[in-house]
Amino acid sequence: MKIALNWLAKYIDLPSSVDELDRLLTFAGIEVEGITPMPALPETVFSARILSAEPVPKSDHLHLCKVDIGSYSYPEKDENACVQIICGAPNCRSGLMVLIAMPGTALPEFTISKAKIRGVESHGMLCSEKELGISDNHGGIIELPSDTTIGVPANELYGLPDTVFELEITPNRPDLLGYIGIARDLSAKLNRPLRMPEVKLPEPVSTQLELPLKLINQNRDLCPRYTARLFSNVQIKESPLWLKSCLIKSGLRPINNLVDITNFVLLEQGHPLHAFDYSKLAPIANEQIPAIVIRTAENKEEFISLDSKSYLLDGDELVIADGEKPSALAGVMGGKISAISQQTTSIVLESAAFEPGSIRKTSYKHKISTDSSYRFERHLSEYTVEAASLRAAQLICELADATMCSTVHDDWQSPSVPIILGIRPKRYEQVIGYYMDGDKIMDFLGKLGLSFLQYGNWKPGQIASIEDVFCHHGEEMKRGVTEFTELPDCVHTLYFRVPPYRVDLEREIDLIEELARLDGYDAAPARKVQPSIMDRHAYRIKRQMTDYVVSRGCYETLNYSFTDAALMQKLGYNANDPEMKMITLRNPQSSAMSVMRTSLIPQLLINLAYNINHGEKNVKLFELGKTYLLDNAKHVELVQLSAVITGVDRDEHWQDKAVKLGLYHAKGLVEELLELLGISGCTVSAVNKPFLASGDGYSYIQNDREIAYFGKLSAPIAEAFGIDLIDLKQDVWLINLDADRIVELCRYINLKFKPIPRYPSVTRDLSFLIDDSVMYRDIRDGIMSLDSSIIGDVSVFDEYRGKQIPEGKRSLSIHIKFQDLEKTLTDERIDHLVESVITMLKETWQINMR
Amino acid sequence: MREQLNELVQQAEKDIQACSNQNDVMNVKAQYLGKKSLLNGLFARLRELPQEERPAFGNLINESRTKIENLIDAQAKKVKEAAWNSKAAGSNTDLSMPSIFSAKGGYHPLSIIRKEIDDVFISMGYEIAEGPDIEDDFHNFDALNTPANHPSRNLADTFYLVGGGLLRTQTSTVQIRVMESFAPPIRIASPGRCYRNDKPDPSHSPVFHQVEALVVDKGISLADLTNTLSQFASIMFGANVGTRIRPHFFPFTEPSAEMDISCVVCGGAGCRVCKHSGWLEMGGAGMVDPNVFKTVGIDPEIYTGFAFGLGIERIAMLKYNIPDMRILFENDLRMLRQFRGESR
Ligand SMILES: [Zn+2]
Repeated sequence: MKIALNWLAKYIDLPSSVDELDRLLTFAGIEVEGITPMPALPETVFSARILSAEPVPKSDHLHLCKVDIGSYSYPEKDENACVQIICGAPNCRSGLMVLIAMPGTALPEFTISKAKIRGVESHGMLCSEKELGISDNHGGIIELPSDTTIGVPANELYGLPDTVFELEITPNRPDLLGYIGIARDLSAKLNRPLRMPEVKLPEPVSTQLELPLKLINQNRDLCPRYTARLFSNVQIKESPLWLKSCLIKSGLRPINNLVDITNFVLLEQGHPLHAFDYSKLAPIANEQIPAIVIRTAENKEEFISLDSKSYLLDGDELVIADGEKPSALAGVMGGKISAISQQTTSIVLESAAFEPGSIRKTSYKHKISTDSSYRFERHLSEYTVEAASLRAAQLICELADATMCSTVHDDWQSPSVPIILGIRPKRYEQVIGYYMDGDKIMDFLGKLGLSFLQYGNWKPGQIASIEDVFCHHGEEMKRGVTEFTELPDCVHTLYFRVPPYRVDLEREIDLIEELARLDGYDAAPARKVQPSIMDRHAYRIKRQMTDYVVSRGCYETLNYSFTDAALMQKLGYNANDPEMKMITLRNPQSSAMSVMRTSLIPQLLINLAYNINHGEKNVKLFELGKTYLLDNAKHVELVQLSAVITGVDRDEHWQDKAVKLGLYHAKGLVEELLELLGISGCTVSAVNKPFLASGDGYSYIQNDREIAYFGKLSAPIAEAFGIDLIDLKQDVWLINLDADRIVELCRYINLKFKPIPRYPSVTRDLSFLIDDSVMYRDIRDGIMSLDSSIIGDVSVFDEYRGKQIPEGKRSLSIHIKFQDLEKTLTDERIDHLVESVITMLKETWQINMR
Repeated sequence: MREQLNELVQQAEKDIQACSNQNDVMNVKAQYLGKKSLLNGLFARLRELPQEERPAFGNLINESRTKIENLIDAQAKKVKEAAWNSKAAGSNTDLSMPSIFSAKGGYHPLSIIRKEIDDVFISMGYEIAEGPDIEDDFHNFDALNTPANHPSRNLADTFYLVGGGLLRTQTSTVQIRVMESFAPPIRIASPGRCYRNDKPDPSHSPVFHQVEALVVDKGISLADLTNTLSQFASIMFGANVGTRIRPHFFPFTEPSAEMDISCVVCGGAGCRVCKHSGWLEMGGAGMVDPNVFKTVGIDPEIYTGFAFGLGIERIAMLKYNIPDMRILFENDLRMLRQFRGESR
């Protein structure tokens, strides 16, 4: 729904800034979908009259116009105060009041300048609404009312500048589908008075002018209330400009004064109306008096709509018929036959309430959605019928010079009973989180149109009579007491009568919602967010680490936290090593349990030896546990993950042969885990531990600290732990991860999705000999860095040493994957890239392709 | 020419039927329908015919072409189906031969139980909190309201460290540390290692594992403790398990209680495991002693709380029917492998 602020400001004083209004509406629960500023137009756009309009020779649509610009000062104005303008609009004709934009005028989309068209000078432009940014109507130039004075600025005529808010109204709030509804909500939110339009009707006319009408309501279920007012001497003509511009800004096209008035009232009051041409209403058979019959359609009855479309009705639809056929699909659309035309002189003004479900069904079935059906299917009250009808009657008398008949037809057999609802301030506190006192509740709800009845005792649900909830509060209030003390048997409750237009307010909780919304959800006291006790990140990363090593075939061991210092000596550590600075128990049970462990490895080796001694060949064990270090007499507990693996990579299988665990398995355990955790950029160096064979492992270093290592257990140490490697005929690999440090390293790593390539990748293979001293990693990095935007990956698929390969060299075969995210790679481009790879390899490492 | 066409079609039929694989079919297709095929050659020679015969013969060639196309398509389908069928498993496959399994390992049964307990507590809205194994007298005893002359402080019960400090005897120390740093409401479960100077035997270990739960808030009562306990037990041991608490004594809770669950072995009827009582001891519990609250600066007039502790070894041994606690620290693969499937 489009709401123009200048119009809205008639009903309520708005906040001075648009942003503030935006915020207010948003936090009152009315979503602002868009804000369109309508800036002021330059003063050089004003009203003028076309004195003459002659066709331009050899042109089928251009007119040469003399336009009277009155007292506006312009050097090339002629003696009749006219300027010459070429205009191509189809509706350009002499006598028309128009809006002229003089040369030099900067319009939203272009600037007007003096021009020569077909060799004729043109001093300015006659404007359409679109060109002025008033609407998107480009059907022709603006036709101002003929009584407009020459020289009135467009800003004055159209009420500019202005701002249009596009609002999204939730389906539970039909009362907000009009300017007054919005203003009422704002009045409660802002605590400012609502100004309702003053409706003054002329004196009723004498009975001679009465127009007879027979009103028959055959379906009060679907039409609980129907009113009709009759008018004679109606003059159908253009609406005044203020009315037109109101409609235009709200997105409706002006048609004629009568249609415009019903649309205006629809926008203002939120209640749709309909006007019939009285003279077109047929009487019931054998009668004389024009009739309006509210009934359901007959099966296969035809209805011709305002826009001349024919609909075949099936009998479910509620129609407003005359004595013979449908004149309107009730609440949805008017019919052609009884539509208001230029010839209309007497009318029937309908204002009614319809059952929402029936309207929705008709609208859905015949695929007609109108401003009227949109509102009726959201449920409009029987009580707003009257106000809308009166407001329209006033405008019809004023703007169509009509005479109103004194008889008002009002078919309203069983008015619905207004709802009385109670609200307990205590309950508000319970649900919303803070106490709201009775005065504030009365203030807010009063502004929304609820009338306070009295204090009472709590009774759940809607109550029929205020007498039912009598309590001493009501009596005290009558005596002027404002402070109440609650009695034990009485729950302090405020009772309100709900205005009929608020069909959504049915329960106490609905009132609580209204109050919370108006006071602002941010009024609820913010509790301090409880800081997290649990380190969820650390918890999850440790689980991920152990889940990973388990998935790789390792079994978890748990060993005592205390151990034997001699074991660390067995591992080859010296007294000076930090690992030997152990925390000692004052009262150990035995020397084997006399110090706190500084490494998980010795116990893992004991577990390994134990299991080998019990006939196991393939042993993969790990422990995630604390080590206890002494750092300058301070106790430090550090969680480590250590693993020992030996044997084959999986259980023996008759068909799928197992692979002996080797260096690349151990290396893979470390590197895959680091990769899974998103930790990259470690530097590596040869591992240096007294229990590992030199040259067969890496230390992984990040920020000068070792975070992981792997290596091969040296034979003498193995023997010291009772493992005979020669007898075993397989290597033992150890890995160690500094779990606590790794947890910290990946604490702030966030995975970011990379777009999936839309073009195919291309893989090329290269084979070459390299010296044993050249590292594959360097070759890979070298190739990747040549063009990282295209070279997606480099991978080895073969390494070969032996026959035909010179001593000290090996043959490497690699895949290079090329991927361009922007376009398909051409062979040419790839050839060029491969060439540069070859050149680079040759220049850097003297490598020749095979 | 008419004869030539007939011969051509007959030859094509033979050749097509002779195709035994997809490659043959492709070749025959090229031969008879390709640009340089004899059929196309006949088209080119239409001009040699008298004007009036051309359309009829042209139609004939087209018909022949359609016929050959259909034959080729049919043969292509036949060949493909034959290939599929030949690739299906032969009749000499022994389906009973061993399958290929992944290399997945497994968790230690104590970790499995601990993980399960963690998950139960997390699902009940608790946070997992851990603390150091090496503690001081304050957190292990003083703050927990344990008198200076209490027997649990003896060297025979507690491991002390050279240069000061001790190994915590229960994870209640984490309660103290959390309450020192965080204001209520608090809902934590603290799992971890504990140490007592017991010689290893079937039901004792100098190193063991415990989980302790602590809830501190306004309005927490003993009823909340029993409710939480039965909720925990029903998730951990099944809906039919019964719980009860009996009066007991702990220095840091008042009132204090021992918690029992109905015997998971006999269902309460009485058996060897439950010593024919129908109940199994699960651990200690109680309402946090006001003195403990005072020590950590929480007003016991505003807040109340409960705590209970569970032994992980005991639960594991009951659940998996493990007869001797020492088995749990041997790390024998023949034991560990049994828990591969429990490593969820
Ligand atoms: Zn039992």
